[in-house]
Amino acid sequence: MIKTRLHDEYGICVVNPAVERLTAANATAFKEEVLALIDQKQDKLVIDLADVTFLDSSGIGAMVGLLKRLGNRGEIVVCSLSSGVQQMFKITRMDRVFSSYSDVNAAIAAIKERV
Amino acid sequence: MYEYTAISRPQPDCTRLKVVVADDDAVQRAYISLILKKLGYETHEARDGAEALELVRAISAKILVCDLDMPGLDGYDLARTIRAEPGDGYVHILMVTGQDQRQQRELALEAGVDDFMGKPVDTATLTARVRSADRLLRHEELLLQRSKVLAKAKEQIEDDLRAAADAQRRLLPPAHQVVEGCRFHAAFQPSNILSGDMFGYYRICESYTAFYAIDVAGHGVHASLMSVALGHLLTAEHFRAHSFGADGRPDPAALVRSLSERFYRDDGTEYFTMFCGMIEHGSDLLHFCQAGYPSPYILTRDRACRQVGTGGFPVALLDGVPFETDVTPFAEAEFLVLCSDGAMEAECPAGEAFGEARVEAALAGSAPAPHTIPGNLVSALEAWREGRALDDDLTVLVCERTPNQ
Repeated sequence: MIKTRLHDEYGICVVNPAVERLTAANATAFKEEVLALIDQKQDKLVIDLADVTFLDSSGIGAMVGLLKRLGNRGEIVVCSLSSGVQQMFKITRMDRVFSSYSDVNAAIAAIKERV
Repeated sequence: MYEYTAISRPQPDCTRLKVVVADDDAVQRAYISLILKKLGYETHEARDGAEALELVRAISAKILVCDLDMPGLDGYDLARTIRAEPGDGYVHILMVTGQDQRQQRELALEAGVDDFMGKPVDTATLTARVRSADRLLRHEELLLQRSKVLAKAKEQIEDDLRAAADAQRRLLPPAHQVVEGCRFHAAFQPSNILSGDMFGYYRICESYTAFYAIDVAGHGVHASLMSVALGHLLTAEHFRAHSFGADGRPDPAALVRSLSERFYRDDGTEYFTMFCGMIEHGSDLLHFCQAGYPSPYILTRDRACRQVGTGGFPVALLDGVPFETDVTPFAEAEFLVLCSDGAMEAECPAGEAFGEARVEAALAGSAPAPHTIPGNLVSALEAWREGRALDDDLTVLVCERTPNQ
């Protein structure tokens, strides 16, 4: 399901869930696929939500599941949030848990600065 | 318990298969019949197509061996008629044709014939053809039995789910109820049989009325088990014990924090969103803790509307996150409406979400009669969905302050 793009020199992996709706119907599959990346030692993840117009509580649960697996070994940020997703992040305070950037380039630039 | 073991090992039907042999040539008919009897089949002979059809119907024959050329109803017509019959069982049709009748065979296949033998019929060919049909028929019988067992198991599971749904509904307070200076109205719609939503309201003591709504992440049995556990846990007594600070002031965040600590697991994936409110009657205040649940609305009967709360962490999702108690004025003439996100997110067949603006319009439309809000919102969503069931569980809870009653 997911599409990934690697930026090798900094070890940043951009993950595109490639769905319009990240919900109970596909959140578990999404989580499993990204967990597999984390298990392959990908520890700098950008979740690009540009195509996602809607994310429900299961989607939030999947995102937090990734964060828990990564622990303090790396970081996971989000980018390109639609207004609906932004609202969901705000109401559940996920905007305080995940750093959010306007687009992929801004997210990558921010991670590079911290490396 | 369900008899799942029966699914993996259905008993095959070991009775002898019934075969109808249709041929206007008595010698040919007797010859084929004799071979089949020796193979262990129960054979019935027919002199023409019409007689064969009657026999197939009367004894529910599984295999028909028929000649193509028969007086009256010929092989094609016979095959077509049998294929057009309603019913579960499949009749395997084996046709005897002249050698090398390619065109006839194509027509026969279209008419519904399964296999052919050229004349003269010999024992080896007939045996091979009938055995092959036999295998298919027994396989079909096995599948049929399996699907019956599965259908029965499914029925049992659904009966159990419905019983569980009844138990879940019994935990909920009535759709309309007066509680100590407040009048509550509610609607509750599971997206499937069971729901991950739960709500409740109580008189805590003379000065306070409390209410809550919960939405467990995900749907179905998993979510509903947690919602029912919470429904049992959250009693008036529980509120009295956990929702006041050391200074005796209302602190619903303390209750939410205790729930988060109780249900959080490092390796867990279950969590829920919650809105927990305490109305302090003497001072017209609402003390609340919003834990990821959509912001409720406070309205007046003349349609003034404002949203309450700016968000908060969900319960049991992350360890050690803060929960806060907020306060807002809640005047005697006002009422509050809580709506689970199932309302905002409901999509019309074209894929557009119902959205906050439509929720607000529906609330404003019913504001002069707050008790009609839950029913009217459910109707508006049904119309929006064009009658299709909701994708997510829905809860609508209205709390109307009625100080003089």
